[in-house]
Amino acid sequence: MTTQHENVLSIEQLDAFRIAFHEGAAEASTALGQWIDKPTRISFDVVEQLPLEEATRVLGSEGEPICFCVSQMTGRLTGQLILAFSDASGLALADVLLNQPRGTAGVWGEMETSAALETANILACAFLNSLYRAFPADPNAASELLPTPPRFSRDYAASLIEFAVMAQVIESDHVLVAQTEFQIDGDPVDWTLLFVPDAESMMTLREALRDSR
Amino acid sequence: MKGVQQLSSTISAVRMGDLAVSANNGVLRTLLGSCIGLALYDHTHKVGGLAHIVLPQSRDSGGPAGKFVDTAIPALCARMETLAGRSLKPTARIAGGANMFSTTVIQTIGTQNIEATVRLLGELRIPLLGRHCGGEKGRRMSLDSATGVITIEIVGSDPIEL
Repeated sequence: MTTQHENVLSIEQLDAFRIAFHEGAAEASTALGQWIDKPTRISFDVVEQLPLEEATRVLGSEGEPICFCVSQMTGRLTGQLILAFSDASGLALADVLLNQPRGTAGVWGEMETSAALETANILACAFLNSLYRAFPADPNAASELLPTPPRFSRDYAASLIEFAVMAQVIESDHVLVAQTEFQIDGDPVDWTLLFVPDAESMMTLREALRDSR
Repeated sequence: MKGVQQLSSTISAVRMGDLAVSANNGVLRTLLGSCIGLALYDHTHKVGGLAHIVLPQSRDSGGPAGKFVDTAIPALCARMETLAGRSLKPTARIAGGANMFSTTVIQTIGTQNIEATVRLLGELRIPLLGRHCGGEKGRRMSLDSATGVITIEIVGSDPIEL
């Protein structure tokens, strides 16, 4: 087992990772813009290592139910990629994709859920493609970086984050969370894309970023 | 108690890896995924405690006392007895240990957390009176320290009393 100190990225490593994450989020944002046929851009992105007790606050109101689509990352990096959103903003997205007046979608039916899942899938693929280029593969290591098909659920925000960081908590009292928010058509939307690597991927990232110490 | 937040005059939130105690008033509340919520309560003296346990064993690795089963249970008992100013005979209820993402690692941790908690409660002769564990959904667990009532809430379901 590694020590707590070894599990924490340096400031320089965090900066280097922040650049790679920003590029990934930008590519995901472009893909989203093409998918919904509206101008989309990143409004804010954060990469931080949080103490355990603060990690559950990253999505704001911990006790409120939120919707989310979760993909597992497979290949060179493993962990979770999560698109989280409020009911209102998720259903608004469904209205856009189903080409119906805003406010038409009122509940999470099959079509609305499918729209959210497909959006999450497009974002995940674009984000991981960019991240793959940012961290060239070791010839001896797994070379792919792919998302599994996403799953849709509604749950407490804090419970979601707890599930996501669990595989890092085994090795450290700090957890790395990368977070991006979006603007669509000039308006902020209540969506968050979370990248949460597991403990094994934290080692991979530290190795890939070792020159940034 | 870095991981305890006062949500209102009567409700305190217990975060990952932390624990809190209360006597005869107020509600202790925690939001759980694969972690274990352990509620201890002494009905005679109306003293309760809630821990949000993350992993089964500390292995002397440091970290907050509430993070591990083997440190959280003794710490919670000690804090409750300090608050009461006397020895207590608490009973226990547990919740959590879900596996939302269906991953082997998390499933293993959740199961180990439950097993380690049940085992240590047995060794300490603390009766385990109820459990609400497993599944794929998160839980909100609340302990009312005036009554000892423990409520479990799951998104999309009616609250239940444990």
